[in-house]
Amino acid sequence: MQIEPILRSLSSLQFVQPRRRPGVTTGERRSPRRGRSVEFADYRDYTPGDDPRRVDWNIYARLERPYIKLYEDEEDLTVHVLLDASPSMQWREENAPSSPKWERASQLAVAMCYITLISGDRLVIETSSRARYGPKRGVAATSGVIEFIERETLPAEIADGRVSPNRVTQSTNLNNWWKRYALDARPGLCIVISDFLDPDGYADGLNALGSSRLDLNVLHTLSPAELDPEFAGDLRLRDIETSATQDISLDDAALNQYRQRLTQWTGELSEFCRRRGGKYHLTDTGEAVEKIVLRDLRHAGWIA
Amino acid sequence: MRGGLHETTASGESMNILNPIALVAALLAIPIVLLYLLRLQRREQTVSSTLLWRQVILDREANTLWQRLRRNLLLLLQLLTLAFLVFALTRPYLNLPSTLSGRIVVLLDGSASMRATDVSPTRFDAAKAEVRKLIDELGPNNEMSLILVDGSPRALASATTNKSELNAALDVAQPSLAAANWSAGVALAAAAAGSNSTDNAATTLILSDGVNADDLQLLTGNARFIPIGVSGDNISISNLSLRKTNRGLAAFVRVTNTGSQDDRVLVSVHSENVLLDARTLNIPAGQSVSWTVNGIDPLTAWVRASIDQANHNALPVDDVAYVVNAKDATRRALLLTPGNQFLEQALAVLPNLQVTRAITPSEQVDGKPYDLYVLDGLSMTLPARANVLFIGAQSIFTTSGSFSNTAFVRAEQHPVLESVDWRPVNTSEVRRVNTPAWLKPVIEGQGGRLLFAGEMTGENAPFGRVVLIPFELRRSDLPLQVAFPILIANTIEWLAPPQGLNIPASVRPGDVVALPRDAIVQLPDGNRVAVDQRGFAQTDQLGVYKVQFKDVNSTFAVVFSNPAESKITPNPNLQVGGVTPSSEVKPQYSQREMWGWLAVVALLLLMAEWWIYQRGLPVLRRKKL
Repeated sequence: MQIEPILRSLSSLQFVQPRRRPGVTTGERRSPRRGRSVEFADYRDYTPGDDPRRVDWNIYARLERPYIKLYEDEEDLTVHVLLDASPSMQWREENAPSSPKWERASQLAVAMCYITLISGDRLVIETSSRARYGPKRGVAATSGVIEFIERETLPAEIADGRVSPNRVTQSTNLNNWWKRYALDARPGLCIVISDFLDPDGYADGLNALGSSRLDLNVLHTLSPAELDPEFAGDLRLRDIETSATQDISLDDAALNQYRQRLTQWTGELSEFCRRRGGKYHLTDTGEAVEKIVLRDLRHAGWIA
Repeated sequence: MRGGLHETTASGESMNILNPIALVAALLAIPIVLLYLLRLQRREQTVSSTLLWRQVILDREANTLWQRLRRNLLLLLQLLTLAFLVFALTRPYLNLPSTLSGRIVVLLDGSASMRATDVSPTRFDAAKAEVRKLIDELGPNNEMSLILVDGSPRALASATTNKSELNAALDVAQPSLAAANWSAGVALAAAAAGSNSTDNAATTLILSDGVNADDLQLLTGNARFIPIGVSGDNISISNLSLRKTNRGLAAFVRVTNTGSQDDRVLVSVHSENVLLDARTLNIPAGQSVSWTVNGIDPLTAWVRASIDQANHNALPVDDVAYVVNAKDATRRALLLTPGNQFLEQALAVLPNLQVTRAITPSEQVDGKPYDLYVLDGLSMTLPARANVLFIGAQSIFTTSGSFSNTAFVRAEQHPVLESVDWRPVNTSEVRRVNTPAWLKPVIEGQGGRLLFAGEMTGENAPFGRVVLIPFELRRSDLPLQVAFPILIANTIEWLAPPQGLNIPASVRPGDVVALPRDAIVQLPDGNRVAVDQRGFAQTDQLGVYKVQFKDVNSTFAVVFSNPAESKITPNPNLQVGGVTPSSEVKPQYSQREMWGWLAVVALLLLMAEWWIYQRGLPVLRRKKL
């Protein structure tokens, strides 16, 4: 995975946190809790048991009533990267050396993880095969992330459809995966990298993630072949995940209908995320990763 | 190619095929259907998900009927295209009633009368249109020969089935200004008809107005006459001549109405493009009117007479006539002889030589000196610088006896001896003449000199050029030799060289005019042509031709002047050989092949099939799948 040269240019970035979420340890993010940083937040009445060192003696001298001085607490942020590693994400043409779509998606995932780690946040990454890495802190974990993602790459004969991915099929259900993940997830930022090509849809899973105090950032990765197919003629299309076949005679009219349907589908997904306070970004995996991260995601307000 | 179903009952318009073996090609339908069935197996394409495609299919469900129909339509069109192609390959033909069958020889009249405008635009163009129709009707097995019959008939196309070649040959055909040489044309037609006589089915078609076509009776075999022309109304200038009068020149014009209606004709006479006179003549049908225009300048080069206006005048080429005022190139000679048949005969045949024969010198009454004198044994008083041929005893030269050993020894190079072979000449007695130094012997015999020639120079010399034959002709066999007329002609030419170019004043179109090499001829249309051969043949324009050779200028006129061709009355009932009239010819059929149209339909079907296949897919971006 050629990602290291790009990572250097990402070292000054960090994710924009839409809401304060409680962290685990002291960090660089403002916490909803009051804490011990140097930044003044508020006063409150002294109650027995409070640390007398935190009583503001100047106020006590003036008002003869004890007040406790409260400071902002700065804690870390937990970033959850959920990378869809299903065969549809890893689809490649027969005998192709690699899958450009999966290549780009995994590069994006590494970039997200790196930004998390370099800005001192807490990282958890999980793929659709339920493999998890983390929680981790510190930029040194980047190489571990890269190794972890490379392990998730499917064998070529599955990725190009020569062998049906029976073993993978059961686990590749986005709704089940996300609902399960939402059960024990710490509050924080959730970055979903997926093509959302699941016959069972995505709504239940995204709802579960959104309702467990996770800020949704949906990165929708579609390959050029999916955005603008170039097939023609009479075809039998075979789904790489379900092995279901679909006969179709492709002409210009059919391709136009496909494009309309695609636009409608991505629009629905975008609207779904917006209504749940999340962010949505459609990514063409044919584009360069630095262009997607440094320009598109920055412009979309994901990172700063 | 001619096998198969060629022998059909030609009892009407029926369709047959020439090449039934081509039906085997219909078996190509089997691979087409097989390919179609194979094509139904779709290419399999693995995609990341059929999620969206399934929705597209749902959207398109309403169109599946059209989809299925479209694919079947393509197969149907392919099979239909194949059917048409196979049908075209079998070479079907229609039996159409036709005027033509077998080998055809077309005789196209190219005579001057075909220029008549009684049928629009001209008779010749109408005949060409008829021939073009015949070419169109030509079946695949019909050979056609095309012969243009004018003054010198020639084959424009011989025994070809190539219609474009025939049409191209017809395009270049032009009517001539001469009468048709039908006997030569008939000979050509017979050669063309018999050239390939495996079967005796050659038909000769004659397209003519029938003017001067009596020679067509020579034609044998199957022949048909297609008459051209409707009217014989024509006015022509049948004669134009000049003669000297004491008041200058007079032009004699004769205008003839060869038609069947009386006419009023405006005739004008020009002298070198200057109008001399114009007059309206009333000419009854079939008659001529003469008119003389007097007082023409004797120095005029030529005179033109033209019909400017007439009501019933179909042929334009005979409406203008030219006559050249020939310069007097005639040399005058005085022959003084007691009577010499050979000499008189030899002189009489020489052109441009006017011989005055006299027996005694006293008969010379004309005060003007002759151009040359021939003194045959007689003597007379001669003017200064006279050109003389002395024959026999002459008092002007002294003689010293005679000799009889006249065997030829030597001849000098001299113009009078050109092409003259003196060796067989025998003479019984030759005078030994004492000649002056300027008169040199040109032939020497063993006994003495046999011929003298010489020229004196100087203004007041008594003689100009002199030739002396020192014996009496009747004492020699010289007049019996071939050399004699040549010697006399050479002598006359040398003694009195002709002035001018010695060309006729008028010739017919197409005639060859004898002109010296490198003469420059100015044609009536103003172009100048250098004569590069001995003879000028570009006499295909009517009018006055000006000739320049060295410093001699001359003119001659090419005049139509063909009363027979001016009589343009068409003869539709011309008897052609011993031939049955065309109305009794049983209806014939020609085979009209149709494969061209079938191929066009097949091509259109193929284009339609392609269009339907491509409909909605103008750019096929086919990935390697």
